[in-house]
Amino acid sequence: MTSEIWQGPLEKIDDFRWRIPKSYKPGMRVPGIIYADEKLLKDIKQDKAAEQVANVAFMPGIVKASFGMPDLHWGYGMPIGGVVATDIDEGGVIGAGLVGYDINCGVRMLKTNLQYEEIRNKIKDLVYGLFSDVPSGLGSKGDIRVSPREEKEILVKGSRWAVEKGYGTEDDLECTEEYGAIQGADPAAVSDRAYERGKAQSGTLGSGNHFLEIQAVDQLYDRGLCDAFSLDLGQIMIMIHSGSRGLGYQVCDDYTKSMIHCLTKYNISVPDRQLACAPVNSPEGKAYLGAMKCAANYAWANRQCLMHLTRKVFEKVFGSPWQKLGMNLIYDVAHNIAKIEKHMVSGKEKALCVHRKGATRAFGPGHPALPERYKKSGQPVIIPGDMGRNSYLLVGTQKAMEETFGSTCHGAGRVKSRTAATRSINVDMLLKELESKGIMVKASGRGTIAEEAPQAYKDVNDVVSVVHNVGISKRVCRMRPLGVIKG
Amino acid sequence: MKNYELIEHTADIGIRVKGKDLEELFRNAAGAMFDIIAQRKSPRHHVTTSPVEKINLKQEAENLEELFINWLNELLSLSATKEKIFCDFKFKRLSERNLEAGAYGCAIKDYKINAEIKAATYHQLKIEQTKAGWQAEVIFDV
Repeated sequence: MTSEIWQGPLEKIDDFRWRIPKSYKPGMRVPGIIYADEKLLKDIKQDKAAEQVANVAFMPGIVKASFGMPDLHWGYGMPIGGVVATDIDEGGVIGAGLVGYDINCGVRMLKTNLQYEEIRNKIKDLVYGLFSDVPSGLGSKGDIRVSPREEKEILVKGSRWAVEKGYGTEDDLECTEEYGAIQGADPAAVSDRAYERGKAQSGTLGSGNHFLEIQAVDQLYDRGLCDAFSLDLGQIMIMIHSGSRGLGYQVCDDYTKSMIHCLTKYNISVPDRQLACAPVNSPEGKAYLGAMKCAANYAWANRQCLMHLTRKVFEKVFGSPWQKLGMNLIYDVAHNIAKIEKHMVSGKEKALCVHRKGATRAFGPGHPALPERYKKSGQPVIIPGDMGRNSYLLVGTQKAMEETFGSTCHGAGRVKSRTAATRSINVDMLLKELESKGIMVKASGRGTIAEEAPQAYKDVNDVVSVVHNVGISKRVCRMRPLGVIKG
Repeated sequence: MKNYELIEHTADIGIRVKGKDLEELFRNAAGAMFDIIAQRKSPRHHVTTSPVEKINLKQEAENLEELFINWLNELLSLSATKEKIFCDFKFKRLSERNLEAGAYGCAIKDYKINAEIKAATYHQLKIEQTKAGWQAEVIFDV
């Protein structure tokens, strides 16, 4: 794709912000605002993501703007990299399709006290160990088996369930968004089929773009913040990207069905049925929120289990307990979720339903939702890149609170379709090229490697540069990959 | 020769599929979906060949598009819970608002998995009658 697919209006606000005016389409309640520089904007115009930013501006109760982050790309309904907030007291809606099928797909990052030199000769052992001990791939099942009663417990307790089983510590909970369990989960709102789909998948990575990565810090941006997080050049970090697996897909499917009927019932007009929604305060909206929270908690428990399995592999390879290896969680963030949050809108505090689809919460310093240890720095924001380039640790800012409901980007963002990537990428060449850069990749299938090739993604350095320069988050440090396990 | 084409989409996978009648359209769409998900292992890799299991499905919807999406998503969901790859479909009844069918599932272990499809979506969904019969376009979340 070289020509521009999207030809709609984009008014330049400044070097990093572009407006789709409300007048673009009758039915838009607010303008669209896309965060990008000229280079990223070219990529954004090459698919229909900008049209989707305009489409979600139709949502009843939407406030301020429909936001697109610099990793914006074409999704199904809601664009990926989209942030939409609706005013609950003004008939604001919640949409299952605005969160997506992989509810609480998210990423966590843990540090170690190991330096690159200490693990250089052990990367192969670690990658093979992780590949063998952390279940991955489609429909993968975990060794962590739960009874139906326990599954209900997971949906309410989230990460705490895992910690109570011995798969982690209280400290891990403090370093997880919502402390690993969002309040108000309603297991009765989850269908039997969803339970069935989720029962064997706790502690499994899944497939597609989900991954586990060993990384080394290769650049420090803010010495003070790096000191606060105890991070230094060459330090080994681990990143885990996964979601709510089949349970989340089924919750989204069940409630998309019910919300399609809400469009007529509540007289809602949206340009795409995948944007089906219901007022947050309606029975359907409340039921979805209760079920979505269950799936979100399941995902946090899942990432907690994955981290436990990762710690065990490191223990085996280094012959030392994980505590001695300093394998402490920095933070865990959700990047597909809807949250009820308080934000200032036109000088008034409002209760909003903030949808982040391929977007990360980025609360600034002092926010009451943050644990004491991050009150001063702001919330850690974890931005994974593709397997050949970099990943970042950022922090949230006050500017994000003021502009984007405390939200920022979530990753690099795709630029090439999976089919185009598969057609054009030679997997053997790619693996050799990665190996020459010191990156070892192990995946369940060769297809995933081609689909997830660096060429299929925007450069995360460009994406992060925009959110940093515009001030909706702040760079702390950058990592480079050493070992990658793909689902 | 595949009886479907892939449609370009940045993050996901779309297909265009045809059928001489609705039954064939529904059958080909489901067949295409499982063709994207998995490929039968060649006989030399077969450890065992498990018996094919028939699973009965009933779906109701308010219109043809909903029925089509429900059909595909129900099959995905059953495939996950029953650990089957569906390889054939027979309809007892199919109208624009309801269907009754048998889906024939083979054990997942007899297949090589290529991709995970989370769901069939309504985004840019098209089902239309053509001179030759029916045509549908659907985007899957992968």
